[in-house]
Formats: sequence, structure tokens, C-alpha cells
Amino acid sequence: MSPGAAVKLTIDGRETSVAPGTTIFDAARGLGIEIPTLCHAQHQTPVGVCRVCTVDVKNNRVLAAACVRPAEDGMIVATATDGVQRARRTLVELLLSDHPSPCARQRATGDCELERLGAGYAVTTPRFGHHDASRGRDESSFFIAVDHTACILCDRCIRGCSEVKNNFVIGRTGKGHQAGIAFDTDVPMAASTCVGCGECMVSCPTGALTNRKIVDVDLPAGEEMSAEQLQKLDIFKRMSGTFLDLNRGAVVRRRFEPS
Amino acid sequence: MTGGSSIIAELRAIQRAHGFIPVTALRDLSERARVPLYQLHGVVSFFPHFRESPAPPVEVLVCDDMSCHRRGASALLAALEEHVAQAGPPGTVVRPVSCLGRCDRAPACAVNDTILSRVTLDGLAPHLLTAAVGGTLPAEHATPDGRALRVDPYAEAGQRYGAARKLATDGDAAGVIAALKASNLRGMGGAGFPTGLKWEIVRNAEGSEKYIVCNGDESEPGTFKDRYILENAPHLLVEGMVLAGLVTGARQGIVYIRHEYEAQIEIVEREIARARAAGAVGPDVFGSGRAFELEVFVSPGGYICGEESALLEAIEGKRAEPRNKPPFPGTHGLWNKPTVINNVETFVMTPTILLRGPEWFKAQGKSGAPGLKFVGISGDVVRPGAYEIAMGTPAREVIFDLAGGIAGGRRFKAWAPSGPSSGYLPPALVDTPLDFKALADVGSMLGSGAIVVLSEDACMLDMALNAVRFFRNESCGKCVPCRVGSAKLVEILGDIARGHGRPEHLTVIDDLAHALTLTSICGLGQVVPVPIKSVLTHFRPEIDDHLLRRRCPAGVCPMTGV
Repeated sequence: MSPGAAVKLTIDGRETSVAPGTTIFDAARGLGIEIPTLCHAQHQTPVGVCRVCTVDVKNNRVLAAACVRPAEDGMIVATATDGVQRARRTLVELLLSDHPSPCARQRATGDCELERLGAGYAVTTPRFGHHDASRGRDESSFFIAVDHTACILCDRCIRGCSEVKNNFVIGRTGKGHQAGIAFDTDVPMAASTCVGCGECMVSCPTGALTNRKIVDVDLPAGEEMSAEQLQKLDIFKRMSGTFLDLNRGAVVRRRFEPS
Repeated sequence: MTGGSSIIAELRAIQRAHGFIPVTALRDLSERARVPLYQLHGVVSFFPHFRESPAPPVEVLVCDDMSCHRRGASALLAALEEHVAQAGPPGTVVRPVSCLGRCDRAPACAVNDTILSRVTLDGLAPHLLTAAVGGTLPAEHATPDGRALRVDPYAEAGQRYGAARKLATDGDAAGVIAALKASNLRGMGGAGFPTGLKWEIVRNAEGSEKYIVCNGDESEPGTFKDRYILENAPHLLVEGMVLAGLVTGARQGIVYIRHEYEAQIEIVEREIARARAAGAVGPDVFGSGRAFELEVFVSPGGYICGEESALLEAIEGKRAEPRNKPPFPGTHGLWNKPTVINNVETFVMTPTILLRGPEWFKAQGKSGAPGLKFVGISGDVVRPGAYEIAMGTPAREVIFDLAGGIAGGRRFKAWAPSGPSSGYLPPALVDTPLDFKALADVGSMLGSGAIVVLSEDACMLDMALNAVRFFRNESCGKCVPCRVGSAKLVEILGDIARGHGRPEHLTVIDDLAHALTLTSICGLGQVVPVPIKSVLTHFRPEIDDHLLRRRCPAGVCPMTGV
């Protein structure tokens, strides 16, 4: 990013100043304002495909995806207007309508990001009806189970595979409402050039890519903890908040009934 | 200086050689081009033109979008399926396809990639037998229709490229930009961005590598005016692109044309060769010392390629998924370089503006609107076709004078100013001038000037469903609202058409419209709700009939659930 004067903008009524090229999402994060998202991960190039991070930018014709929209001087952003919340809720409802709730991740570890967002928006029965049509499973891999029905096409596995790692195996296949993720030329995972690094699995926000060994183990629902909550625990006290934030979901709180 | 990526051309060559794209050939290309296999597969599986398995002996693709739908394509499709099941030829596959751009000669279909128009079952049957034995099907004729175009400043072929010659000699690029601005010329592909400003942004953008791209992908139902222009004024297109090159400093131009326009592609290629011979294209444009090369890029297909950033992705050999904007192509276009991307018609308007002056151009308009416009009119009219009109001409004149009014003496029911994305308007608005502002003021848009006319026997719910189904089929799938929302909207409208409608469907449609309009990445997702919203605005009683009284007044919808 070319050096330049700091960009000044207002988010939810608070003024802030960020380096040129900073996204609205990151600028808000700097103010401690959390914008929900499904496709964005801090360590991956933003793609802006889930649109859940949508925010209102004053005088713009449409809403903006905060994860990809660079902050501009004088921008006035509102992250949670009624219009924004209404759009986000519809997006989550749309995805849940085709989602096998509870998905494998939700069943195993209670941390499906889509189902958690849905609970936040109190989406119980999506009004678009519930699609139970399977979009296919792939259990060819020894340790990663693929459930295409739970896939929300967030592209996190794709970026995990080719950007975080340099394996170049996963991509999108097909077009439109029939699009999905595929390994190489849409062959079973085990028949592909996949090296089994597991990056796709840890990138996945839902039960589309899960560790086969922990799926269907009967655990009580886990509650994801924020970096701040974790840092209050002795064992995480000296760890970087960013690291903990990046690895959210790796530690969850569970309550076991005394037997 | 490179033009387009070779990937799409290589894939086309593989398909020509094998009839489809075998995985072995894809692996080979992956190694040769050093592009990951998954990426090539992503491209092949994205574009409808590419096949991953051998083609059936006979394949009939029938268009059932707006204009063809009005001309009996649904019935044709059903009859054809029955005919093929009973009479063959064996192995014949019949399926629907998105708009083929022959709306003026509806219904249209493609038999083994040869496009046939004004088809009937009886007329089609012998062609299937010919195709089954590998025979040649009748090719379309694409010849100039002989009408003198007002937009053409050249009375004689020998005078052509005069504006480019003048600019090459005097080098007055600032004067060109000033003239375009004074003419009020705006993008004719639908978005209406001021052309002078666009060229100026690219001229002022840093860097020596820049591109001029022509969007000749027109794929929206009802749109075929660019096809007409490509046939009748290819020299003005080539000249417009040369002008843009000289003004901005770009040395490479690419004409992006949909693959279904085979004859028009040949016409443009011949014109580029003529321009080269005349000195307008090549290493030294009219002795200016400036180079401008021009090539045709044949689209692998899909309406989404008409979205400018998706089109650029396709030229780069990728899945045609729209980019997040900003940045815009003016600064970050093809290969991330400053790029002028204009519609065919926009480029075609530029030579005359420079030679006859912006005042002449503005004076060609009517009702206070400046300039000229090409429109295509189709659907239930007597004389469907492409017409050059004054900008601001009332729709009534086009529908009733030029196109001869409603076919079959039926009653006029509705019209779309520009295909599905403009929505449907009632006859009461037929005096609206065809102009950017006037149509925006009535909640519609000029778009690409694809007027589709409906007579009384059309059902507005059925037409909304038809339009939304087109958008769903053509969604690239990149973002959630468009990918999932368009599919759900089709389901909901389909439910209503089957008599399963519930009043709360209207709230759901409203919420969907809110999310799609405001959060979709590109214009396609943003206009998905427009057809049904416009029908709810202007033809509400007809929806209430379906929803509350469970009847289709036009007798079109299946209403099987009643």
C-alpha cells in the first residue's frame, strides 16, 4: 500500500483515523465495533461474498460489504441500522433455509458460525421453506468429511488451500444456484491432489468440512469465547489477543452435568 | 502488450478438437499454461459453452425467455420433447437455454450450435434429421439492411475513419473529451455513465499500459440492437475504439462479442482488417506514431459477462464473477490497468459527435433529451426489429408506428422498456419518452433499449416468473443474496403460480427485494426483484387474483394446487 495521509472517517458516530487501504471492517474493529461476517477471516484476502458484513455508507445507493470496502476520507458509516439488520437477517435466513441444521460442526462442537448467527437473529424456521435436498457428501478422505449441503460458498476453504497454504486444490465448480466447491476437476477428495493438510477444515465456518474423528461424538453444546474472555483465564493470560481472536472456535466453553 | 488471456481460446480449441473438454486435455493445458487444474475446471464448469462430456448426436437448445416465451416457446419446448421421444432422432437432447439474442425472430433455438429462428415444430423436424447425420444446417444471413443510419457521418465508404484521421493528425485529445462531454453522451449499455468523463478518467490515470474494451455481450432478453449495429455499422465501432485509444493512450483494444453472434464476429473481424489496411489500426495509426491494435474476444457465454467487471474476468481467463467495486475499471480494469469499457452503441456514437459537433448530436433528440438511440423491439408487435430513433422518442411511437402496434389485433397490456431488468409498465405510461431521466422518473430505466411488448393474453405473474427465472439461471453464484435469493424468489413465484400462494409471501418478497437490491455485488442481483416489484406496483389486482382468489385471469399459470 502506498504511503499517504491517514484516512479520517466516522463509524457509528465515532471518529477514527486509519492508514489508507484499511477496510471499513478493520477500521470498525479498531474501535471495538464488531461487524458480523461469515466469509471474512482476518488472515485471508477479503472476498465479500456472504454480504453479512454489509454496512450503511452515507449517500451510497446500496449497502457496502465492510470487509472489502476501503475506508475513504469523510465517510460516514453506520454498522447496525434497521435497514442493515433487516438485510443481514434475510441473508442468514436464506442460508439457513438450505442448511442441514444442526450440521456436523454444530453437533460436534456447537460452533457452526451460520447457526450461531441465525440464533442471534432469532431465525427459527426460515420463511423460504426448508430444503432437505442433499447437495452431496464426500467421505473419501480418511479424516475430512465433506458435506456439500452445509456449504455456504464462503470461499474460506478455497483461500485456505491456495492462499494460506499453497496447495491449489479447492475451487468453485458450476455456476449460480448450482455452484459448489470442488477438488481439482470435481473428483472425490481422496482422489484429488489434496495433501490432507486440514487447512480447509479449520477454515470452514460450518459443517461442510469437518474432522471425521470428532463428528457425531456426543458432546454438550459448546459456547465460543471471545479473546477478552479467554485472556481472563490463567492459561491464556500472556497470549496475544489477536492470536486468540484468529483462533476463535479452537477453545469453547462446555458445561458437563455431574454424573 | 497482451490482449486477452489465451485460456478461453485454448479451451475453445480443445472443444473443437474433441467435441468436449477431456480431463486429460485439461491437465495438459494446466501444465502448459501453469494454471492450477482446479482453476481451469472452475472456468470450464462455469461457462455454458464448455462441455465436460461428449455432446449428444443432436442437441436442441430452445430459448424460452421473454420474447420467445411470448411467441410460444414453452409450447414448442413441450411439443419438441414429445416429438423427439416418439420420432427421434435417437439420442436427441432437448433443453431450455437462455436468450439467444434473436428476440425479433422469436422463437429461436440452437441445433448443434447453429442458431435457427422463427422456428416451428414442423420446420424444425427436418433439421434434426440433418443434424443427426452430421449435415450442414442453414446459416443465418447477416447483411446490412440498407437503411441509412443517422449516426453514420460517412456518405461514402472512402470517407470512413475521418474522425480518427483528424485526431491522429491534430492530437487534440482534450478537444475530444470536451466534445463528448458537451454532447451529453452516456453509456448505452444500461448504466448511463457519462462517456467523456470515463475517457478522461482513463486518460488521466497513471501508467502506460491501458486498455479499450467493447462490451458486445448483449444477452438480456429483448436486447439485440448491438447485433444490428455490428451488422450495419462495424466501421463506427472500430473507429470509436481507435478514438478511445488515441485519447487515453491505450494501445490495445478488445471487442468482446457473445459466441452466438458468429456472423457478426466475422463482420467485425473483416472490418478490423479493412481498418488495418486503411491505416486506422496497427503500429502507427494514420502516421501519428501511436499504435493501436484491435482483436475480437469471443465470449464463452452467459448474461453475467455483460457486467463489465465480470467481462474483464472472462477476458483474463477466469470465471466471469463480478468484482467488488470500488475500484472501478477506469483505474483498475483489465489486468488491473486503467480501462475504458463501453457498450457497442456508445463507441458507435463517437465519430459523428466529433465530425458534426456536439450541438448537432444533441439536436437529434426529442422531448428535451439529447442524441440518438438504438432500440430493439420484440414480443407481441407486428414488426419486431431494431430501430435507430431520437433519444426521448415516446415509447408509443416505437411500439405503434415503427413496430406496427400489437400483433393479431389484440389489446395492449404491458411493456418493458428494457427487458426483465426494467420491469413491466402499464399502457398508461406508454407516452413516456425513451430517455434516461424520463424512465427513471417512472421507476424504470432506459437500460439497453430492449422494448418488449405484451398483449392481453400474457399473465403478469407468469411474465415476472419468467424474468426472475432468467436471472436465477444467469446468476454467477458469487454472492449469497443473488445466488440463494434468486432461487428462492423463483420458488415463491412458482408456488403462487401453482395456486399455493399465501398473503405472507408478499412480506417475504419485500424482505428479499430489500436484501437483493442493497447487498448484491453487481447489477444482476440488484435487479432480480424488479420484475415482480413492478408487477406488484402496476398490476396488483392480477397478483391478488392468484394469491387470494386462486385463479389466473389470463389462464396461463398452472394453478394445479387449487
